[in-house]
Amino acid sequence: MGKQLTEMLKGTLEGVVLAILSGRPAYGYEITASLRERGFSDIAEGTVYALLVRIEQRGLVDVEKVPSGKGPPRKVYSLNAQGRECLEEFWRTWDFLAGRLGRLHQGGEQT
Amino acid sequence: MSAEPSEPKSRYLQYLEIVTGSLEEKKRWRQYKARVKGLPESHRIAVEALERYLVHFGPADGAGAMEMYEDLADLFEQSAADATPIRDIFGEDPVAFVEAFMANYPLGQYRARERNRFVSAVERAAAEQDRTK
Repeated sequence: MGKQLTEMLKGTLEGVVLAILSGRPAYGYEITASLRERGFSDIAEGTVYALLVRIEQRGLVDVEKVPSGKGPPRKVYSLNAQGRECLEEFWRTWDFLAGRLGRLHQGGEQT
Repeated sequence: MSAEPSEPKSRYLQYLEIVTGSLEEKKRWRQYKARVKGLPESHRIAVEALERYLVHFGPADGAGAMEMYEDLADLFEQSAADATPIRDIFGEDPVAFVEAFMANYPLGQYRARERNRFVSAVERAAAEQDRTK
């Protein structure tokens, strides 16, 4: 299952992260921790970071730099209006895909 | 020390940069290198490995490239502060990580030129086929 799961997650990770951020703003490490809690355990910290860079560049999140006790200031990401729109579209696309795959799995369209 | 970005460069500086390349970028590169030097040994080794890969396969030039290296320094400073293990940063497939990271930045001039050349060559081939139909 491992390899296939990794491949499928690649296409959906952005939506997953947007969904996590729709709950509340978070910084990188919290997002990875939250993914682990929800059973997405194999996702590399760096992969999440690369994705955060991308959604920031695309204007889906607002970023605030918050000073931290140790190390450099943390970037806290919060979903903005454009990000919410993108998340809604993600869920619509997901429902469409899940519906089609469900029918394919049950062989419904062959009859 | 540095001029405001809106201020036009002096003619001297313009000529100088033709010879030396962008001074601003050189400064940013030196700052990035200094940040890398400040990392713990393990993180520094990891960043230098990524840097080598990115120099070969990444954008290589332009402001986008500097932004990429600065983001890289951000990531490793942060994970050093959080004591994130190197294995957790890279995951099982370091190439997948570096490729996903690199894809966020504009292609360098060399790669952009080759990509355009490729797209127009395919277009010419298809047009040739239309013509001989």
